[in-house]
Amino acid sequence: MTHDWQPDFEQLVEEHQSMVFSLALRMTGDRGLAEEIAQDVFMEMDRHLGKLESAAHATFWLRRVAMNRSADALRRRRVRRVDLWVEIEEQHGLRAETAARPLGASMGARLEALLATLPEAQRAALVLRYQEDLTPEEIASTLAAPVATVKSHLQRGLKLLRARAASHLKEYVRERSSRDSRLMGGVSSDGRV
Amino acid sequence: MDEFEEELRQAFERVPAPPSLKRNLMAERARRRNGKILHFPLQWQRLAASVALAAVLTGGATWGGLAWRQREERRKGEAARDQVMLALRLTSHALDHMNRQLAEHGREQQ
Repeated sequence: MTHDWQPDFEQLVEEHQSMVFSLALRMTGDRGLAEEIAQDVFMEMDRHLGKLESAAHATFWLRRVAMNRSADALRRRRVRRVDLWVEIEEQHGLRAETAARPLGASMGARLEALLATLPEAQRAALVLRYQEDLTPEEIASTLAAPVATVKSHLQRGLKLLRARAASHLKEYVRERSSRDSRLMGGVSSDGRV
Repeated sequence: MDEFEEELRQAFERVPAPPSLKRNLMAERARRRNGKILHFPLQWQRLAASVALAAVLTGGATWGGLAWRQREERRKGEAARDQVMLALRLTSHALDHMNRQLAEHGREQQ
């Protein structure tokens, strides 16, 4: 099939590098690995440049390959048993990590940290939904999964994230009020320490 | 979309890629392209050698097949000739026998 669209590698990299890097970063939680994945994805795109039919096709292709490569990287990491340590850190270290964040740390950073604790399939669906603004049908097509499964992952992931965010928010409020009361306790009514 | 989902959307904005990504990509691409150009004559030589080998093998197989078929046809022809000769010998033998019997019968009548 012939098509008029002429892909320009450099322009495609410029246009989509942030998308591919962000997808890989949110799926793996590792900046170095995300950069490696993004590099692999674009090198593969270079090999398949002639098969890309339009700008929309290139975007779809990049999203799909970025998600597949991220899943492969997570699988390899699980095989190497490194994931065990990541899970331990995620489950037991998250509290310490979020607590260690300055009180002024944005809700966004906290949500990103909570996203990393979700199962891979739910994380993939949520990232494509809220980072890429895709519909469940588009997510299903990107992940080559049934729409019903994607909807279920979105609902469950959102519910889990909401519950975890609420519990962390309560903890944050409790922590801040205890700090405030400690500060207030150290100061006398006339303002002398 | 509720407030929490709106927060998620804001939290999950795309992260800028490190500048090294594009730099490394362009360098890697240029390296691969140069490698391809350097390897181009070698690839042609390999292709030509493969084609020549395939032609030799095909020619050999065809010639071998033809020779085998000729041998087989000659063998079948010889076998058929032997059978015809045998049939002729048997017929000749039967005719001789009949001839002898007729001659004996003629002598007895005389």
